[in-house]
Amino acid sequence: MGYPWSNQKTEMIEEMPMAATDMVIMDTGRSYRGYVPWIAALVAILIWEAVAALHVVSSVALPSPIQVFRDLIATATVGYSGQTLLNSTLFSFGRIAVGFVLAVLVGVPIGFWMATTDWVFLIIDPFLQFLRPIPPLAYLPLIVAWFGIGELPKVILIFFCTIPIIIISAMSGVKGVQENRKRVAQCFGANHWQMFRYVILPSALPEVFTGMRVGIGVAWTCLVAAEMIAASRGLGWMIMSAGGQLQIGVVFVGIIIIGLLGYGMELGIRTMEKKMVPWKGQA
Amino acid sequence: MIQFMDVGKMYPATGKGGEPTVAVQEFSLTIEDGEFCSIVGPSGCGKTTILNMLAGFETPTRGQIMAGDQVVTKPGPERAVVFQRPSLLPWMTVFDNIGFGLTIRDKNPKGHNLEITQMVEEMGLSGFERHYPYQLSGGMQQRVSIARALITDPASLLMDEPFGALDAQTRSDMQRFLLELWKTSQPTVLFITHDVDEAILLSDRVVVMTPRPGMVSEEFQIELKRPRKWDSILSTEFLRYKKQILSVLRHEAF
Repeated sequence: MGYPWSNQKTEMIEEMPMAATDMVIMDTGRSYRGYVPWIAALVAILIWEAVAALHVVSSVALPSPIQVFRDLIATATVGYSGQTLLNSTLFSFGRIAVGFVLAVLVGVPIGFWMATTDWVFLIIDPFLQFLRPIPPLAYLPLIVAWFGIGELPKVILIFFCTIPIIIISAMSGVKGVQENRKRVAQCFGANHWQMFRYVILPSALPEVFTGMRVGIGVAWTCLVAAEMIAASRGLGWMIMSAGGQLQIGVVFVGIIIIGLLGYGMELGIRTMEKKMVPWKGQA
Repeated sequence: MIQFMDVGKMYPATGKGGEPTVAVQEFSLTIEDGEFCSIVGPSGCGKTTILNMLAGFETPTRGQIMAGDQVVTKPGPERAVVFQRPSLLPWMTVFDNIGFGLTIRDKNPKGHNLEITQMVEEMGLSGFERHYPYQLSGGMQQRVSIARALITDPASLLMDEPFGALDAQTRSDMQRFLLELWKTSQPTVLFITHDVDEAILLSDRVVVMTPRPGMVSEEFQIELKRPRKWDSILSTEFLRYKKQILSVLRHEAF
């Protein structure tokens, strides 16, 4: 205040356009960002319709979008093999939600612990790396033998498929903390908890979110495998079962619903990410 | 008072066939309370190592460092550090970044509004309290860093090429700004730079270091009267100092 260079005001005004330009770019961006994805989807459906109408392949193997839409209505109202679409969707969604949320709740602390304590890393890392490349179908029989055919084995399968990704991302998030930022906290005499709370946790969050986004995709991938365990409902079960009966339209319905749900969850995590780590990619 | 007593720092050999590196050797220096002392030297001469050891980030392998009447063993709030690249926490607003030291000290992020607001005004950051660091220019970010360092009222301020990444104009503004701040609270300053003009303009004393292993080559008491202004760097006295220091540096660099 009152310093000879207090005409800093001008400097600040000069700096404002930086933020302002960003907003302008986003605004002009918004106009086409809103509709391009819809046009892309529409074009894809039109191409599909064209291929189906030309009978390039048999209509049993490739039903038209309209046929699939009819199957969608049928599975939604009458149901498939006694299970309505909503019922199957809710069961699949529930299995994924429980398995995935457990993987995050258990995986993030393990990842943090491994990153900060060497002996924990040395103990857990071999198991983690051993488990990671095994395809879920390979240990499916084991999970059935140990946990039976109820809801538990399905959730466990999704849990085990997802947790390595979560652990690894949490671990690398903590390891990537910039030394200078830790030093700032040290300078002020931060204790371990403060260091974690104010520096390490927020530093690691962006990577944790990336891990979650990859993880949710993997969880859906495991779903079909999980629902091969003597399931009698669920989207994965519906797809496998309808496929066996050459009801390809129902297979399409299942695939589309899974795709949309996965997309929705991704958007949900993205929104959460924007709220919790607005600085991501900026610093 | 800050005292480096015959301080040495050797880094062990790394990898195959690497030799241990002596970064700093027989470094002795006393900085009086309230003195503004700069260290200049060729890059890689161990300037930053000196600062890191005083800050407590690194331990000397020889000798010891005293800050006040205590031997430096770890970082502490009485020795605030301003880093070369702004090390603001990107998840905190300008306001929270400035108050970070108080949050840590009092184990409570609340209840410092008055002090922080005052600091924000003093630093010419009014209106930017709710901004995030990435929304600020480099100069403003560095101003926030300085504010954060000063808010706990440290006895000494350690600055590692704080204006090195700024453009010439901003840099010169920041130098005047720093002098003004220093005049009011008068902390002991250890200022690392490779810019001779900057060192002379700001300091009571300029210490020139040799190339690695870093030792004190020569010291210059800068007796330009304060307050120093932008045109101080054009005075004959200033140029005389500059000539002397540059000739030592040239000589050292062979």
